[in-house]
Amino acid sequence: MKEEVLDCNGEACPVPLVKAQNKLKELEVGDVLVVQVDHSCAMKNVPEWARKEGHNVEIEEVDDGEWEIVIQKAK
Amino acid sequence: MSDTPTIPRSSGSIPRSSSRSKKPKKSQIPYAFVVLAVITLVGILLALQSSQLGFFWVTGCIFGFILQRSRFCFTAAMRDPYLTGGTSLSRAVLIAFAVATLGFAAIKYAFFLRGLPMPGESFVVPISFATIAGAFMFGIGMVIAGGCASGTFMRIGEGFTMQMLAVVFFIIGSFWGARDMGWWTEKFIVHGPRVFLPDVFGWLGAVVVQLVFIAVLYILATKWENRKNEL
Repeated sequence: MKEEVLDCNGEACPVPLVKAQNKLKELEVGDVLVVQVDHSCAMKNVPEWARKEGHNVEIEEVDDGEWEIVIQKAK
Repeated sequence: MSDTPTIPRSSGSIPRSSSRSKKPKKSQIPYAFVVLAVITLVGILLALQSSQLGFFWVTGCIFGFILQRSRFCFTAAMRDPYLTGGTSLSRAVLIAFAVATLGFAAIKYAFFLRGLPMPGESFVVPISFATIAGAFMFGIGMVIAGGCASGTFMRIGEGFTMQMLAVVFFIIGSFWGARDMGWWTEKFIVHGPRVFLPDVFGWLGAVVVQLVFIAVLYILATKWENRKNEL
């Protein structure tokens, strides 16, 4: 099981989501993708999309206004 | 569903090898009291100048707070149905429109009954090609900038640096638009029809027509969300 980190700090709303979508396509089932974001909007739409797709999602606030969205590819 | 193996949806934590050490967070409650004190002080100073300014200050602060805490975003409401298939924010905006429809209709009707000039009547402007052109440009701009006007301001408050740049160009764009407004008005806007729904459908009819329209959009949004789930 691989683990990839995607640094999207400083990127505004749709960019982290699109990057995460593209990156997750390359990964295998069971791999984990960590998306680092500091845009509050991405903190909402990235998990919403990933949960909708059926992946396992966790959000961690690593610092004030900085989050790590942990996505495990489930299918 | 395909033949590829699937991982069951876990309720436990996802196994990770890397984990950033969490810094112990300082309590932010003292800052909250400082901000509250500053807001109150500025509010009092503005209210001494004019009660209207004080009122704007209070409603502005409340609006900003709700916008930030609810992650309400007009950009995402337009964009997410396409990008994520999620329509939760789109439906939130539709509900807000429905509530605003009732509120605005009530305010305007109250003024109308008393024979007073209705507030906000100057915003009833003709529909023309300028509306389409403006909406198209604003749509492109807000997706690239990651927020509409209110969203951009809210995220500057959150400390997102990129959007400080966005607001500079937002101001430049607004000035540019104002500079060319005469041309747009002369070429397109004056030729367009000026529609005020209560004139067309009557007061009750206008409210009903608008609410039905919003309800139809809401149902379509719900359908869209469920359709995406089945894929």
